Amino acid sequence: MDYDFNEEQELLKNAAKGFLSKECKPLFVREMEEDTKGITDELWQKMAELGWMGLMFPEQCGGVGGSYLDLIVLLTEMGYSCLPGPFFSTVVLAGTTIMESENEEMKQKLLPEIAEGKMFVTLALTETTAGYSPDMISVKAQKDGNDFIINGTKLFVPDAHIANQIICVARTKEGEKKEDGITLFLVDANSKGIEVTSLKTFAGDKMGEVVFNNVNVSNTNVLGEIDKGWSIIKKVLQKASIGKCAEMVGGGQRALELVLEQATEREQFGVKVGSFQAVQHHCANILTYLDTSRLMTRQAAWRISEGLPCEREVSMTKAWVSDSCRNLIALSHQSVGGTGFMEEHDLQLYFRRTKAAGVYFGDADYHREIVADAIGL
Amino acid sequence: MNFEFTKEEKEFQEEVCEFIKKESTPEMLKETEDQGEIFGGPEGRKIIKKIAAKGWLTPTWPKEYGGLDASEVVSYMIREEMGYNGLPFGFVAAHMSGPTIIRFGSEEMKKAWLPRISSGEVEFALGYTEPQAGSDLSALKLRAEDKGDHFLLNGNKLFNTSCHIADYHWLAVRTDFDVPKPYKGISMMIVDLKSPGITISPLITMAGWRTNEVVYEDVRVPKENLVGEVNKGFYYLMAALDFERMFPLGIFRRLFDEIVAYAKETIIDGKPLSKKPLIRQKLAQLSIEIEVTRLLYYQLAHILDKGGIPNYQSSMEKTFATELTQRITNVGMDILGLYGQLKEDSKWAQLKGKVERYYLTSVVQTIVAGTSEIQRNIIAQRGLGLPR
Repeated sequence: MDYDFNEEQELLKNAAKGFLSKECKPLFVREMEEDTKGITDELWQKMAELGWMGLMFPEQCGGVGGSYLDLIVLLTEMGYSCLPGPFFSTVVLAGTTIMESENEEMKQKLLPEIAEGKMFVTLALTETTAGYSPDMISVKAQKDGNDFIINGTKLFVPDAHIANQIICVARTKEGEKKEDGITLFLVDANSKGIEVTSLKTFAGDKMGEVVFNNVNVSNTNVLGEIDKGWSIIKKVLQKASIGKCAEMVGGGQRALELVLEQATEREQFGVKVGSFQAVQHHCANILTYLDTSRLMTRQAAWRISEGLPCEREVSMTKAWVSDSCRNLIALSHQSVGGTGFMEEHDLQLYFRRTKAAGVYFGDADYHREIVADAIGL
Repeated sequence: MNFEFTKEEKEFQEEVCEFIKKESTPEMLKETEDQGEIFGGPEGRKIIKKIAAKGWLTPTWPKEYGGLDASEVVSYMIREEMGYNGLPFGFVAAHMSGPTIIRFGSEEMKKAWLPRISSGEVEFALGYTEPQAGSDLSALKLRAEDKGDHFLLNGNKLFNTSCHIADYHWLAVRTDFDVPKPYKGISMMIVDLKSPGITISPLITMAGWRTNEVVYEDVRVPKENLVGEVNKGFYYLMAALDFERMFPLGIFRRLFDEIVAYAKETIIDGKPLSKKPLIRQKLAQLSIEIEVTRLLYYQLAHILDKGGIPNYQSSMEKTFATELTQRITNVGMDILGLYGQLKEDSKWAQLKGKVERYYLTSVVQTIVAGTSEIQRNIIAQRGLGLPR
């Protein structure tokens, strides 16, 4: 057994921490929440130059050839700094979908552009039912000669407002088994019939409603096989779930630091508040939630990275981390006290993001149900 | 990074499980359960001697002392499997005293005791707690006066659990009576529990197990039974806790598996309990927490195998695992409903009354070997540097 990251991963972690502490300060995070775009070209280009967008893409596709585990290192630091912008949608969601599609032509066309920071791509998966099971895919793609015509509404599409390309998960066949008959289409966001409306989210991230109204897509734009798209989405959801866990762990680390600042500086009744057992026990519980979330995330990420069976571990992890990091933040607020309720205190950034990440790609209840199946109930 | 056993470790795990299953007897299983999984009863001694003969009782010890020079991961895995399969897994001599002797004992002491411990021939009873010294062990008072060629012991110990079945007392005593800092006047010694002047009286717990009050009246202990140096005992004791504080969940993991099987087999309103959404949620949550415990548990082995010493991580594992035992048994009681209260020998008892029994025993897990509150102090103070 070996619980540690390797040397390169430690280097990557420190480099990312250093970079983000300069380029992604809390003030910037707040500005980007208000900003219509939600990212600056300058920061995006710098990240591209560091090789972050192409970190897990193969070298022949303009990437670095790193592993999913490397990406987790990066996402943890991004969570620590509340990095705004479309990294998750473009790289983790769309990038993974393109890679898993094993469509060489598409990979050659899209991944280098993403790696260079020249293209935003997003994944339009969820609909008004707001869930992650295949029976919830109702947006239709009807065959029309060599083309398909897409109709329907996608909801909670991350960074749809700036996406150049949208991967639409659409139903191409009604069958007995709901996971059959789902196809992935790469759609130019400027196609006729696409309408994007921004949603206002409490975590300040950008999400959109994407309405497809008779949108015409060529069959050459299919990612993966026709009717067999769900097997790709299943893998994407696993990587995305654990990606969100990594962000929550990074955020939890920062929340703990904010608590310790208060506990070791502020005095009440003539002593540091961190000397009270009530506060110490909150802190001990925070560290327990954090350490266990980190261990679970590492294990799941390692299994994904190694291509080992991981359905059970992924759902265990998403359930555990979603609940634990939410509890961790609640204890942090209680420990910091009134100051932590102020907008200018950074804890509120993590409070909002942790809840959003907790429900993203399935909340704890949803994943516990998968675990129940996995343990044979 | 790697979160799985190696191929060799997996094969070894299978070998251990098969051996245990082959050698287990109903009498041993019953004795172990009745005594609270401690080691020292006649049936337990029979099987543990066989385990010890393979080097599995003290696998990390050097070969010359009866070990295998194995990794901590292997050692942790054996303990987990022993618990899961109903063997005694609470060892004082092999898991606490032995490692302390290896670290701090004289060569004579090592030669005298380690082979007897690693062969399963002797068991010690933990002799720490006194009426006024529980969480604050430094307040212990049992006097050991230096009488030239021996120590003379007088005082009381409380909740010293294995004393009625163990052979020796692993005893913390006061050898300096006037030090300003009380923890600096403590020494460790090994005392034959059959020595004249020792009276062991039973205290019966709510779980039916026995623990003991032990009274020392003018008990003579030979000088060579002193461990390490005089007045350094508290340091040894704390160091031992750093290395040895851990809780193998095995026995409760087994109970969880039995509750899951019960939920799958029990039909209520025409469908298995395991198909009810609330029960699925509760059992899934427990299985997640069992996985979390597995990671915390083997993290300790990983740290030791890297040459480090677990710090707050042992307190975290102990707290998480023992608090989980109470959640497992509580969910078990809820799932069994009215049947949960039936004792083993009652008509209609389910799962041999195991759930109610473990429900009772789980109460003490968050109290012994450092309460959850003491553990949280350690996590906050040593893990996060908050003021003592």
